[in-house]
Amino acid sequence: MAAARPRPRETVVPAPPPLSSHPPAPPLASGTSQQSAARPGSGTMSAPGAGAAGGGRSGTAADWGGFEDNMQGGGSAVIDMENMDDTSGSSFEDMGEMHQRMKEEEEEEAEGEAGAAEEEDGEFLGMKGLRGQLGRQVADQMWQVGKRQASRAFSLYANIDILRPYFDVEPVQVRARLLESMIPVKMINFPQKIAGELYGPLMLVFTLVAILLHGMKTSDTIIREGTLMGTAIGTCFGYWLGVSAFIYFLAYLCNAQITMVQMLSLLGYGLFGHCITLFVTYNIHFHSLFYIFWLVVGGLSTLRMVAVLVSRTVGHTQRLILCGTLAALHMLFLLYLHFAYHKVVEGILDTLEGPNMPPFQRVARDIPVVSNAVLNTTTKTVALTL
Amino acid sequence: SAFVPPEMMQQQQPYTGQIYQPSPAYTPASAQSFYGSSFEDEPPLLEELGINFDHIWQKTLTVLHPLKVADGSIMNETDLAGPMVFCLAFGATLLLAGKIQFGYVYGISAIGCLGMFCLLNLMSMTGVSFGCVASVLGYCLLPMILLSTFAVVFSLQGVLGIILTAGVIGWCSFSASKIFISALAMEGQQLLVAYPCALLYGVFALISVF
Repeated sequence: MAAARPRPRETVVPAPPPLSSHPPAPPLASGTSQQSAARPGSGTMSAPGAGAAGGGRSGTAADWGGFEDNMQGGGSAVIDMENMDDTSGSSFEDMGEMHQRMKEEEEEEAEGEAGAAEEEDGEFLGMKGLRGQLGRQVADQMWQVGKRQASRAFSLYANIDILRPYFDVEPVQVRARLLESMIPVKMINFPQKIAGELYGPLMLVFTLVAILLHGMKTSDTIIREGTLMGTAIGTCFGYWLGVSAFIYFLAYLCNAQITMVQMLSLLGYGLFGHCITLFVTYNIHFHSLFYIFWLVVGGLSTLRMVAVLVSRTVGHTQRLILCGTLAALHMLFLLYLHFAYHKVVEGILDTLEGPNMPPFQRVARDIPVVSNAVLNTTTKTVALTL
Repeated sequence: SAFVPPEMMQQQQPYTGQIYQPSPAYTPASAQSFYGSSFEDEPPLLEELGINFDHIWQKTLTVLHPLKVADGSIMNETDLAGPMVFCLAFGATLLLAGKIQFGYVYGISAIGCLGMFCLLNLMSMTGVSFGCVASVLGYCLLPMILLSTFAVVFSLQGVLGIILTAGVIGWCSFSASKIFISALAMEGQQLLVAYPCALLYGVFALISVF
């Protein structure tokens, strides 16, 4: 956020007119503590005028301080929605700017409050009107709490801004990277470039979720504890985030030159092979076909990831640890996905599972006979002719 | 010694708001008009609720003609009445097929809208509001309603069903991405926006088919 700090100050001038009334208001109002209650309404366009007028007013009409100072400059107790700035459709820059401004206002108000607290304490017994003092304090506190919560929410929102550069891609780039993820690089003597982009990996993880869901639905998998969607999302995201973090940790131990985003990107694109394999083998049920796909497609994508990591690591032992772990996890994950998430031949189910009933209960049901038979015979004839 | 501060306030200060007037409902669509409290002057109920049937019909036509160029400004007003009706209609057609899955429809649409909202905010130069995303995705659910109506009578689990489902998913995501890129001015990224929409509508299709 420190880097973003100068930005709002620079963009104050070209900011749209409704928001440009903000910067003058705090310096005006910070001098008078009584305006702290009036500043809540500073989203209105009448804020600077009201600030100046209110300062004059509260000086002259001190006996009515209870009413006036609790209200906004327009003299209404309720926030005037007509002029309230609705930033629900505004840009990120405006949101960040508002957040900055609120932070500044909060800091200035904190200073103003510290000064005002003493004089209020002194005047309390002097009685400007019980309603006035207490009401103002309560309104102040409520506003403070509300503003703090809103700025916390804004800072959470603004954190998403950090991820923006990783989503700035074009379709051509994504396609090129998808194809490259299946081609192992030959040069491992100098570090290979990894695209630090998160759009492609995120879409690939969601695709894997969709393929898993499809596989579970076609095989009528019943999940006892949880939902299909939750299981699929948990498995895929858990693998992507968990294994990336684990390999990043190992890379840190083995002194490999790779950042977390690059690792996420690399592993995400490595799931492309998984998507292809599962998409094909969930619909055409030959175990030998699956094993061929597992070795060839899965192997290619693993080789690519391994080659990139090797190019960024120095030392034989370190290379072996890192790449061995990644290869094992990647290949085993594909094996797990195939066997856990689609129909299993009944014989295997009986011998392996036996009396123990796991939460995943795979019950073989009636398969749509016709379409399956068609697909199987088609591939058999194709395999025979080749 | 009557307690008259409101009147005194009105005399003393410049009055910039309308709040002390005993006016009926505040309507976002027509902020400048001032409604008295008599029955004849009240706005029609639909206008007060912000439901504009003509706009709903325009947006529906934009979705149904995939090759029609979308106007970026039609999505400026967030209208959630149409999408709500479409979600209910989708649930109703599923009900006709014997699947009571309103909860899934609402849950997936909520999560899907949230995901698209985050993604579009990250990918576009100008941000987008959640209401706009929900509105667009809801309107583009219309072809999926046609698919689930078809599924009431015929089963979608054959080859024809797969082709039809794929076609409808493509239609929905193409319309949604077309509206998004015209509203957000993201040229050249239609495929990148269409793919997550296709995944979302694919999940809806899974509910209809299975």
